[in-house]
Amino acid sequence: MADIMMEIRGLTKRYGDHTVLENIDLDVKKGEVIAIIGPSGCGKSTFIRTLDLLEKPTAGHILIDGEDLNDPKTNVDEILPRIGMVFQQFNLFSNMTIKKNITFAPVHHKLMTQQQADEKAMELLERIGLADKSDAYPSQLSGGQKQRVAIARSLAMNPEIILFDEPTSALDPEMVGEVLNIMRELAEEGMTMIVVTHEMGFAREVANRILFIDDKVIKEDGTPEEVFNHPKDERLKEFLSSVLH
Amino acid sequence: MKKKKLYLPVLLAMFTLMTTLAGCGSGEKSHRVTESKDLAGARIGVQVGTTGDSYVTENYAKKKGTDIQRYDKGADAVQALKQGKIDTVVIDDQVAKAFAEKNPDIKILGEDLVVEQYATVFAKGNDELREKFNKGLAAIKADGTLDKITDTWINKKGDYHYKKKITDGPKLVIASSIDFPPYESFDGEGNIVGFDVEMLYAVTDQMGMSVDIQNIQFDSIIAAVDAGKADIGVSGFTITEDRKKSIDFSESYIDTAQVMLVKGGNDAGVVSFKEKFHNNFVKDGRWQYLLRGLGYTLLITFFAVIVGILFGFLLAVIRVAYDKNGSLPILNFIAKLYLTIVRGTPVMVQLLIIYYVVFASVNISKVFVAIVAFGLNSAAYVAEIIRSGIMSIDDGQFEAGKSLGLKFHTVMIFVILPQAFKNVLPALANEFISLLKETSISGYIGLSDLTRGGQTIQSLTYDALLPLGAVAIVYLVLVVGLSTLVGKLEKGLKKNER
Repeated sequence: MADIMMEIRGLTKRYGDHTVLENIDLDVKKGEVIAIIGPSGCGKSTFIRTLDLLEKPTAGHILIDGEDLNDPKTNVDEILPRIGMVFQQFNLFSNMTIKKNITFAPVHHKLMTQQQADEKAMELLERIGLADKSDAYPSQLSGGQKQRVAIARSLAMNPEIILFDEPTSALDPEMVGEVLNIMRELAEEGMTMIVVTHEMGFAREVANRILFIDDKVIKEDGTPEEVFNHPKDERLKEFLSSVLH
Repeated sequence: MKKKKLYLPVLLAMFTLMTTLAGCGSGEKSHRVTESKDLAGARIGVQVGTTGDSYVTENYAKKKGTDIQRYDKGADAVQALKQGKIDTVVIDDQVAKAFAEKNPDIKILGEDLVVEQYATVFAKGNDELREKFNKGLAAIKADGTLDKITDTWINKKGDYHYKKKITDGPKLVIASSIDFPPYESFDGEGNIVGFDVEMLYAVTDQMGMSVDIQNIQFDSIIAAVDAGKADIGVSGFTITEDRKKSIDFSESYIDTAQVMLVKGGNDAGVVSFKEKFHNNFVKDGRWQYLLRGLGYTLLITFFAVIVGILFGFLLAVIRVAYDKNGSLPILNFIAKLYLTIVRGTPVMVQLLIIYYVVFASVNISKVFVAIVAFGLNSAAYVAEIIRSGIMSIDDGQFEAGKSLGLKFHTVMIFVILPQAFKNVLPALANEFISLLKETSISGYIGLSDLTRGGQTIQSLTYDALLPLGAVAIVYLVLVVGLSTLVGKLEKGLKKNER
């Protein structure tokens, strides 16, 4: 297909002798919402972190518009701003106000003037229902609020894809919904997303493609219907029965 | 909170009590000295590096029971004698006379131990200057000027005083230890006066040159002259074979002898505290030594703090860049080496090395040298404090920055350092408080800081308790005041975070 936005070939990650990911291939299409599931410690977080170079791949290629992120000759400073990332622990800049958290990077990259960025930030904050918190500091917000701001922060860069690394795992249960709602809206607007999650309900309902990672590789790759209702892999069956019951 | 207000006065009271008690201590095994052979087995005080020092070391050090105490200043030795800590002081006769005059409870024994000649010292090979000096000296010997100066200062006859005629034009830097009356000492107004001084004025007028006299610890003068920090050393130097190995002497300008000072004569009687206070601080405006010294102490501390912060930040960032990314390995190695050396050697040694070695060949302000030395020292401690502050910031802050496409140094400057700085502010403030106290060794390169100011008063009044006590109290008030400020700042920062 013409609208493949990310091509992953032979991606391998090792820590010393310990192999976490082995020879992974994946094509991500524009507008696709991919949920990655799997038992803890299976390497799904490592996988998504390599896509933003937070972990350096040991081998393999991550191609975006034909440019390889894992090639020392590539100017990654131009590509990384186009990939958004949302962390489990939010990682808002503690020394900046909410508004500054959102505007700092786009203004620094000269994508917008401070005034344009401020307007955009207020627009995003309206959208996530936190306009009144624009001058607050991260420590004054609840976990759910922080994660909504973190999503707004990555949206401010107008990314082509957003990676979510267990975005709701650190939240109190009553705050999970507010974050998932925003992610659902993004998906509906056609944003390309890869989400590592334990929220099977969300994965089934919002994602249009599910990856099951186990034992260093992608064991199963299919629609929610295929993966949840007709699992083929034995480990996937085991995993589903343990999380769904 | 009420309790806190009591804290300072109680501390001060304890301190005063302690110093008072310390002054009461007296020697437990006194040994009567009445002639030179009694020196064997006695506790002998000398000024370090003087003829008296080498004389007793050579002749008595190996004798059973002999205990030679070496003091930086003659006045310190005299003080120890008065307190019964030593039995006798071996010192130049004219100096002994000056001490005995001011201290009725000590006397000179009428036996000359060794007769010697005083001369000025020059760096080896500086023959041109030495020849010119000798010519000038010969001239003032011939026209009777030197005799008149000798009468005034040594024989205490007449009131001739030689006034310096040439005060600008080519300048000679003179190193002298201004604590050796009647050869060189401070008068009431802080002017340097004495036999050596007027002799020097007369000779340099003959040479057609002006002088700049620097107050340098006696045992450092030869090093200063050798390093080119000073052109001539004029401080009652005795011509010895040993010294000739490292410097050259001028012709001799006076003969003197070493004598023994012992306790005895008339007792001083009890001087009231009010009189002592007046004598130490009010008389001749002596409090100004402390005030001017405090000015230097604060000046040095302030700029050393700035050097420390800037350079310390730089070192910390280099170390963190390596720890986090493995970048800058060579700079990191240099930084680590620097930290190890600076933190592994005493700041006093660093100060002396920077003054006598690093800046040896340049004539540079001592205040500048002190700022550089203390600043570079402090930077090493600041660097480690800031590094620990940076390492305590969650990695997530770096990762968030990276995921937004921000470069490492951008994240460092705008995100990490502001947070780290806030976390380590108390530790930084404490480092600067100890820096303030460390500057008290500035006197070793001849800077008249607060501590040196107290010592100067001590050398004028032969009283240790009041001037040194006053110095201690000024430091204490500064430190307690600063600590209180830091406490308030910390509270304020915590409030801001909410």
